[in-house]
Amino acid sequence: MAMVLAGTSLAFAAGAQTNDGDTTTAVDVHGFVSQGFIKTSANDYLAHSKRGSFEFSEAGINFTKSVTDDLRVGFQLFAQDLGPTGDYRPKFDWYFLDWRFRDWLGIRAGRTKIPFGLYNETSDIDAARVPILLPQSVYPIDHRDYLLAQTGAEVYGNVRLGAAGSVEYRAYGGTIFTDPPKPPASGISVDDLQMPYVYGGRVLWSPIDGLSLGGSYQALRFDWTYQLSPELLGPLQTVGVVPAGVGPSLATKFRVKLWVGSLEYQAGPVLFSAEYARWIGEFESLAPKLLPPHVVNERYYGMVSLRVTPWFTPGIYYSVYVPNVEHREGRESHQYDAAVSFRYDLNPHWILKLEGHYLEGTAALDKDLNGGVEAKDLTKTWGMLLLKTTAYF
Amino acid sequence: MNRRRHTTEPRREAKLTRRLFVSAAVVGLLQALLPGTGRAFGASPPGKLVIVVNRDNPLSAIGRRELSDVFLKKASRLPDGEIARPVDLRADSPLRREFSEQVLGRPVSAVRSYWQQRIFSGRDVPPPELASERDVVAYVARNRGAVGYVSANADLGTVKVIAVY
Repeated sequence: MAMVLAGTSLAFAAGAQTNDGDTTTAVDVHGFVSQGFIKTSANDYLAHSKRGSFEFSEAGINFTKSVTDDLRVGFQLFAQDLGPTGDYRPKFDWYFLDWRFRDWLGIRAGRTKIPFGLYNETSDIDAARVPILLPQSVYPIDHRDYLLAQTGAEVYGNVRLGAAGSVEYRAYGGTIFTDPPKPPASGISVDDLQMPYVYGGRVLWSPIDGLSLGGSYQALRFDWTYQLSPELLGPLQTVGVVPAGVGPSLATKFRVKLWVGSLEYQAGPVLFSAEYARWIGEFESLAPKLLPPHVVNERYYGMVSLRVTPWFTPGIYYSVYVPNVEHREGRESHQYDAAVSFRYDLNPHWILKLEGHYLEGTAALDKDLNGGVEAKDLTKTWGMLLLKTTAYF
Repeated sequence: MNRRRHTTEPRREAKLTRRLFVSAAVVGLLQALLPGTGRAFGASPPGKLVIVVNRDNPLSAIGRRELSDVFLKKASRLPDGEIARPVDLRADSPLRREFSEQVLGRPVSAVRSYWQQRIFSGRDVPPPELASERDVVAYVARNRGAVGYVSANADLGTVKVIAVY
């Protein structure tokens, strides 16, 4: 696979040149390489962070070309390693044919980034923001495979509203190809994963310079089959969690609806943003006691940064994640995250970042990464230090 | 014995948590206070800025917001219907800084961040960045839909200056 991708890139890159502006026949080439370090005072988060981990790397390169004034094509190769995910496997992050025949109407087909909230489609792009980790309540980095890109089509446009500013809209539909989700318990395996649909859209209104107000919506459905081991099925049937006669195969439909309201304001060197989201999950199966039929989680944050000099920008944010709005008590029922970030632009193509987090709650922690310890038994209050450097062109 | 271990562990972790948080803050503040460790991206004062288009272009004036949309590629055509080919100066140019703040309504760093988002999400690529005002004038003179900015005292014989309202 890596050989195929490398060959494709080289073929596309033949004759590539940087954007010097004289011709639309040029291929634009851009790329980035990042290396990070993550250390937590307690609990393993995203990687084996308690001992300190360098398993926090990203690299990407993209090629785009304007075939005509209205038609563009392009693709990006991306590889990452973040704890147990990624493992440096290169893949097509996005690829598209983009036909923009009016400013208010364009069509893009292929694998495209999902516009959800202000920063979802740019959540891999370290150079485009101040914090190392975006607020993880709204942009969970370990959900990348599910939320970042979809394969299908998108319509988009930008509509000018005179004195009322302008509106940018995007609407998309397609599917997501991904690996099966993690089983909820040992003795259960997951197979036959399909995603019949994903669709959604985003509207961003810019009434004045620097201000954006918006809303995003996304709906998707996963279908899969749980295989329950005989050792597990018997006891589950005995206690009535799985009805008699059901299993060992358990067909499941999981519908997810997500929405987020967004605000961003850039006033000179100050950038403020805030978002509030709810994600609604609904399981449909013959064992509703095993799989909760309806769960709503709440996610929000506020973030501000100040460009002190062209080379130094500090920022702070506060982020809240509640996995079930009906159960807020206990450390496993929330994760509050206060972060302070420092971005240092060493030159126009190289940045260094330092970030500290103070967290309360364990709701977003992965049991498997923490030696099988349940979230309710992990350390309630903990800290995290991150360092990251990125070069880009 | 066990109880003692359980009471000292969280205390130690809380202490480590505080240390991590404070050390991140202190190092960052030191970087802010140390003079001359960063690289300024431009130093000399900017001159008066004018907007130029190709001489064959019938356009004589453009709205500031329309011009901003062209340079941010939210608009692909000029008001007269010509395919727009905006051209920038390099990020360290004082004139670029002036144009960015006066026309785009945001500092160059914010515009660079905007383009990083667009580039790596596959949305678009920024206008070409040329090294000098002479290069900008030459580019505009060659391309019918080109629009650029230069200082008023540049050699403007081969291009047309338009008004911004």
